[in-house]
Amino acid sequence: MSALPFDTLLIANRGEIALRIIRTAKRLGLRTVVVAHEADHGSPATAAADVVVPIHGKTGVAAYLDGAQIIEAARKTGAGAIHPGYGFLSENAGFARAVAEAGIRFVGPTPEAIDLMGDKVRARAFVAKNGFPVAPSAIEDDDPATFAARARALGAPLLVKPSAGGGGKGMRIVRDMALLDQEIAQARSEGERYFGDGRLYVERFVEQPRHIEVQVMGDAHGTVIHLGERECSVQRRFQKIVEETPSPALSADERRRICEAAAGIARAAGYRNAGTVEFIYGRGEFYFLEMNTRLQVEHPVTEEVTGVDLVEAQLRVAAGERLAFAQEDIRASGHSIELRVYAESAARGFTPTTGSVLALRLPSGEGVRVDVGIAEGQRVTTNFDPMLAKLIVHAPDRDEAIRRARRALAGFALLGCETNIGFLDRLIADSAFAAGVVHTGWLDANPALAADPEIAPDLRARLAAIAALATRAIRDGADAVPTLHAAMGGWRN
Amino acid sequence: MRHAFEIGGIETEVWLARDGDAYRLHGDAGEARVALNQRGAEAVLDLDGLTEKALVVLDGETIHVHVAGGNYTLRHLDPARRFADGDASGGADVARAPMPGTVVRIDVAAGQKVATGDPLVVIESMKLETTIRAWHDGIVADIHVAAGQSFDRDALLVTLAAEAA
Repeated sequence: MSALPFDTLLIANRGEIALRIIRTAKRLGLRTVVVAHEADHGSPATAAADVVVPIHGKTGVAAYLDGAQIIEAARKTGAGAIHPGYGFLSENAGFARAVAEAGIRFVGPTPEAIDLMGDKVRARAFVAKNGFPVAPSAIEDDDPATFAARARALGAPLLVKPSAGGGGKGMRIVRDMALLDQEIAQARSEGERYFGDGRLYVERFVEQPRHIEVQVMGDAHGTVIHLGERECSVQRRFQKIVEETPSPALSADERRRICEAAAGIARAAGYRNAGTVEFIYGRGEFYFLEMNTRLQVEHPVTEEVTGVDLVEAQLRVAAGERLAFAQEDIRASGHSIELRVYAESAARGFTPTTGSVLALRLPSGEGVRVDVGIAEGQRVTTNFDPMLAKLIVHAPDRDEAIRRARRALAGFALLGCETNIGFLDRLIADSAFAAGVVHTGWLDANPALAADPEIAPDLRARLAAIAALATRAIRDGADAVPTLHAAMGGWRN
Repeated sequence: MRHAFEIGGIETEVWLARDGDAYRLHGDAGEARVALNQRGAEAVLDLDGLTEKALVVLDGETIHVHVAGGNYTLRHLDPARRFADGDASGGADVARAPMPGTVVRIDVAAGQKVATGDPLVVIESMKLETTIRAWHDGIVADIHVAAGQSFDRDALLVTLAAEAA
């Protein structure tokens, strides 16, 4: 390992991931620049970065999607590399090209790899052609006129997805074929709005599927290795809530097969950078779902068990270095779980919540890591994704990891905006989670878990006491009525 | 005076009496000798001699508390308004936002005649598009939002009126 050929890194992102990238960049001796929309003033990333460049846009999201503005910020601050994080411009081939044309290193894959994997239809065809498993499907582009008929022919249940999609946006399950046309129309509308692309494809939906994905890492010299799998089957509306490694679902043989398939797919694509190959797994079978050509939200669980800093590996690969480790150097130890802390109300159908962060206390202790994107005093709005922080635990085994996670959740205080922290605790305390049998439809099938539990009498007494004692008018009222004790000198409070 | 707080969705009446250097808690949540030592948001609750750390922040009538491993939001119910009929919309025929979000599209204009089920407004919250539909036949009396506008939970969206005879 040598010194990096750039001394300044610009982070084109916000929230917890911006802070997490800054942490590694600083450790490597880099000067850090973060771009920030005004809604993010006072965020932990802006506090941690050496330089903050304001960016503007009609909306907060538009500012972070404005590649020209971000490249200009990199030029102005002398940044030799841009790390896009996840979301926003991280899988935008045009941006990757523009960064390279500006003489700046893009901390990511080649634009060709982004193009290939960003189009789900091309990606699936590529994976199938290379002999890796994909689910039966119908692609609109093959013949738009017969699309609905071909979809119908696959039989229910079906999953309708935008070709250009990701992150669950616009995806719809169709169990009743009478609703197919309606669901296609809605998915198309969402695809057009989110991705500017209304093309769709439909595939067989695997009932009670498990979401297993594999972390891969490739360099510019043709080496691709995998860093094991992650299971992300705890989902609501196709959005992940809890991720862990190793997966409790896989046998040793299945683990080897799925990890080798992932590395093989990435190798066939000549992939460089950190990437994630996602699979649907059920009844011993697995199908390729998609490949994300970026650092993943849930990358920390892989870091915890392997000891590899994936952001450092990304920066070194972007600098043209060879991977510092071979496949046989990657050894996973223990079990790691990540819990996503969202500003949302589980009891109200996981709808987003807003508010101001009036007090924030983060848990700590052995095996506890918190990647946080907000600070006290910040407002939580619907401008951005509702994820506020990630709690990551690492322990010798899964049971201990669950215990540590529950202890850490109990110490996670966030006041002023409703979050899913209490729900996360109910979730990982559930016997189905403990048994490792959760599939991606499990939460929808167990809505009772999302409901706010009744407050037990002893807790109600404590809350009532705090409420009464913290309310000036109630204390004053009590103080104005001197008791025998008060008359004897107990006036002060 | 007796006060009430909404705790976990249940109205809980409480009052305090002075008890030496502490207080006596009375009301729906039971009886106990209590004291609260606050330094900024950090607090220590003493309940019948058992002490426990807590985090307490007041925000108007809302009290945010972290205690016993959980985050809670309590509401101080104003004694004057507690027993009044609290229909803030005055009985109007309105659709309110089920969640905070953004207006994607307005499908109707004020004064327009609508039938039950007609789409009125399409809202979006994160990844979910929801169509607000006419809940009865009538006319659109008022549209309270514009396309592209963001709103908080319970914001007024559309007011319907019965069709003029």
